[in-house]
Amino acid sequence: MRKSMEEQFPVRQILSPEGKLIESVDGWIDDELALDMYEKMVINRTFDRKSVTMQRQGRIGTYAPFEGQEATQVGSAMALDDQDWLFPTYRDHAAMMTFGQSILRVLLYWKGRIEGCVPPEGKHILPPYVPIATQIPHAAGVAWSSKMKGEAVASIVYFGDGATSEGDFHEGLNFASVYNAPVVFFCQNNGYAISVPMSRQMKTKTIAQKALAYDIEGIRIDGNDIFAVYLHTRQAVEKAKRGEGPTLIEAVTYRYGAHTTADDPRKYREQEKEEKIRREKYDPVDRLRRYLESKGLWDDEKEQALVQKAETIINQAVKEMESYPAPQPEDMFEHIFAEKTWNIKEQQQQVAEESDRQRKSVQKELA
Amino acid sequence: MAYTFKLPDVGEGMAEGEIVRLLVQPGDTVAKDQPVIEVQTDKVSVELPSPVAGVVKDIPVQAGEVVPVGNPLLILETDEADGMDENGGHQTVTGDEKFESKTDEDGQQLKNVDNPVSRPRRVIAAPATRRLARELKVDIEQVQGTGPRGRVTDQDVRIFASGNGKKNVRDGEGQVSVVSTPAESASAQYREEYNPAELEERIDIRGIRKQIAEKMVRSKSTIPHVTHFDQVDVTELIDVRKRLKDEATAAGVKLTYLPFIVKAVTFALREFPVFNAMIDDDKQQIVIKKYIHIGIATDTEDGLVVPVIRDADRKSLLEIAREIESLSTRARNKALTPSDLSGGTFTISNVGGVGGMFATPVINHPEVAILATHKIEAKPVVVDREKKEFDIRDFMTISLSFDHRIIDGVQAVKFSNRIRDLLQEPLTLMLRM
Amino acid sequence: MTAKMTMVQALQQAMELKLKEDDRVILMGEDIGLNGGVFRVTDGLQAKFGEDRVIDTPLAESGIVGTAVGMALNGMIPVVEIQFLGFIYPGFEQVVSHVSRLRARTQGRYQVPMVIRTPYGAGIRGPELHSESVESFFVHVPGLKVVVPSTPYDAKGLLIAAIEDPDPVIFLEPTSMYRALKEEVPEDKYTVPLGKARVIEEGEDISIFAWGAMVQVALQAARKMKEQRGWTADVIDLRTLYPFDRDTIKASVEKTGRALIVHEAHRTGGMGAELISFINDESLFYLKAPVARVTGYDVPVPFFSLEDDYLPTVERVSRGIEQTITY
Repeated sequence: MRKSMEEQFPVRQILSPEGKLIESVDGWIDDELALDMYEKMVINRTFDRKSVTMQRQGRIGTYAPFEGQEATQVGSAMALDDQDWLFPTYRDHAAMMTFGQSILRVLLYWKGRIEGCVPPEGKHILPPYVPIATQIPHAAGVAWSSKMKGEAVASIVYFGDGATSEGDFHEGLNFASVYNAPVVFFCQNNGYAISVPMSRQMKTKTIAQKALAYDIEGIRIDGNDIFAVYLHTRQAVEKAKRGEGPTLIEAVTYRYGAHTTADDPRKYREQEKEEKIRREKYDPVDRLRRYLESKGLWDDEKEQALVQKAETIINQAVKEMESYPAPQPEDMFEHIFAEKTWNIKEQQQQVAEESDRQRKSVQKELA
Repeated sequence: MAYTFKLPDVGEGMAEGEIVRLLVQPGDTVAKDQPVIEVQTDKVSVELPSPVAGVVKDIPVQAGEVVPVGNPLLILETDEADGMDENGGHQTVTGDEKFESKTDEDGQQLKNVDNPVSRPRRVIAAPATRRLARELKVDIEQVQGTGPRGRVTDQDVRIFASGNGKKNVRDGEGQVSVVSTPAESASAQYREEYNPAELEERIDIRGIRKQIAEKMVRSKSTIPHVTHFDQVDVTELIDVRKRLKDEATAAGVKLTYLPFIVKAVTFALREFPVFNAMIDDDKQQIVIKKYIHIGIATDTEDGLVVPVIRDADRKSLLEIAREIESLSTRARNKALTPSDLSGGTFTISNVGGVGGMFATPVINHPEVAILATHKIEAKPVVVDREKKEFDIRDFMTISLSFDHRIIDGVQAVKFSNRIRDLLQEPLTLMLRM
Repeated sequence: MTAKMTMVQALQQAMELKLKEDDRVILMGEDIGLNGGVFRVTDGLQAKFGEDRVIDTPLAESGIVGTAVGMALNGMIPVVEIQFLGFIYPGFEQVVSHVSRLRARTQGRYQVPMVIRTPYGAGIRGPELHSESVESFFVHVPGLKVVVPSTPYDAKGLLIAAIEDPDPVIFLEPTSMYRALKEEVPEDKYTVPLGKARVIEEGEDISIFAWGAMVQVALQAARKMKEQRGWTADVIDLRTLYPFDRDTIKASVEKTGRALIVHEAHRTGGMGAELISFINDESLFYLKAPVARVTGYDVPVPFFSLEDDYLPTVERVSRGIEQTITY
């Protein structure tokens, strides 16, 4: 009998929701790494909650929360090597910060500051991609050129379930497949493209099976199981660097909150009920904590200390963000071209004069 | 009810008129069509007849004042309540008088609408022309356009800048105001220093004089003039005229030499059509006229006017003589109509009666040539050099100015020679009649 | 050393020179390798430089442009061929959302030095959507340079300059000029600077601006009017549409006081409108007449049986010259 796609692409789990190891992680994940994973997830969750709160206070703009997806993002980003490339969407701040982007920069981004797009020196972290799936060919292209240059460098590109309907998803996978590019296509399937559930997005029951069309490896993992996320991503990254081509990973997860702070999920799903079940049964942070507690690596005291630490770190970043020098209107003309064209120069000059006039009139009023 | 008689456009697209004389006084009873005010425009002097019968209530203008077209001239109390609005189109006074002229016009006033200078306006002008006006400190809105669709051309601006020290114009409210130009401020300085009020008399340049001034500047600033001189042996012509004179007198016409000159010129023009032409400066084209309308420069009390003999080439000597007589009489009586003064293709200026040998006549722009004829004088001529034999013959000198842009010197000499030959041998003239 | 060559050959030389001298340069596109491109512009280059540098890609414009962005991010200089300008639309999002703005978004941390070459324009009896002339789409997008050669010499020099430019360049190749004329082109490397127009003929009465295939039409019309009416014109090939050569345009218009723009693109919102706006801003008070446009119409480029009626002709341009000068 022919196996169904769900059977062919089972959701792989290493850590059960109860926090029990299903298979050995020896040689891959030691206690130190597990503790690090936990700390990163907690700090990121603290960040996410703080950001939603600040958006409601008017301290930042519209914000895309990721709570519930900490394991997919933190686990996958931890699987990268320093020189690798990361292509995030607008919901992947946890992945970005895990890989090295500063909390300050991410906050600045949501504060409406272009400075939030700039990665730390030496790190290849692209700015959040807003148009859906358009980053996928970029990752394929970077990976393809890494291969051309003979570098052992991989690229990871994040996208959601909805993105798999876009042409760029297919074009990106096809190019990577044709040229055997070292890229990891990391799909966080959180069940919804804003309001549209996966069942209306595609007929297929899995996203991993789409890899078949490109004759590349496709795997489906429990996205709330950070061990599974880390392990399979790490394997995909290493495989890519060995020259064995791209992998499509479907990490099944769930976002607790709204698509963005401008969205109300109660319009399209039984929000309270679903969220409650998810949080109680499948929460990625609690799952790892149960594991750590079962191994005697974690307790309430440590939890208290970590919560304190997370708050300190986030509050510090918020303070930096809020005291960041105000942008100058002339700044918008920077970096449009390597060398400013006359049009840019002329318009920048006009804006400089305009802001000068405004400054003077404010000074006059004050006087 | 009150009726306001406004200055209509009595010329071809004129903008203003000078009140020469008031023919009625407040309190006078006037009949319909009775002349009430005499107005002089750039082109003509006319008596304006009242469109309605009634009693003069008010005359808001004075003799000597320059009034823009559309401004009130006369307010009458009239019983003629109907008919006028449909036919005469002249409005009775209402509370909001100044907005009327645009909305309620008869055929004559509709013409005003076509003329951009006759209403509150923005003149039409290319941006480059506007820049020139700014550079020359000319308020372009005051300049009358002569270009296509009434556009103000560069030349109009230059003429305006050079030709006016002081100009009465209408402002947006329809009031008369005085616009300063650089020339005026310079003369203001001069007045301060010399207190010239006692030493000088200042006469505003207006009416026909203003028209002459502008035309002369335009001509001289546009056309590269060259003048060719010659003398014509008119001994035989004198004889011919003498023989025809009495017959003409019997027909009631005074036959001068001028009709002969006109005829000679028309024949020469047929042979040399480039002299019967104009230059369209904007389109950069030479326009050859297929009709010959000869302008006769005529001296009047107010200055030079140029009435026109239409289709002179198709008229007999007698007809031309009669027409010259009639035109000059009307010119002296200021009775010329706009059509008497327009459409000329070549101008003859006969200054023989006044004296002088030669002149450099100014071409009547946009024409391309002008002929001046001078005094006839008896001169000795060598008949036989060997025998030292002389004869006495009558000579008339002529001066031909031509537009060197399109006419070359040789052509001009040939044209002049043709006129000379025709006048020297009047029989050949007859041959062509 | 020069050789007489067509625009196709000149473009080929430009790419060959850059492939030879700079390892970062790669060519990507549909049918450009073995087949040498549908217009044979890349003919023989794959044989010389191999499949990894002259790459036959899958048939996916977004994928081509998108992966090229990745290449450029990673230090390569991709020269992408889109088979026809009318086929670029699937890749348009990549051009507008990423190619044009990655430098700005990353505050200069990343740049995408790449060239998107594409044949464009009507006049070769092409099938539907093979004759588009939508240059103003790209001119409108901040962060892109838009270049259009009209001669073999310029094509080579401009393409080399475009490849060497640190910013993305949309390089539009007029199909009807690919083989229309041959001229002496240096065999060696040279560049024609971006942003500089070429004054082909100088005159006094009007400035005529054109690019691509319309340059020849403008030139012929100017010569015809000179012969028939004695009017002389500045005939100017803009060559770069963004950033266009403001100084040359301004100087010419202020000299002649009249301007005419010829483009085969649709009229409304076309590049001509931008140029008129520029002239309005800079040189209004030098104008003796309204600036005129002779353009394609606001209709899809028609099936080729009507293509000649759509395109500006020498007659239409001559009439435009006459109307402007005699205005």
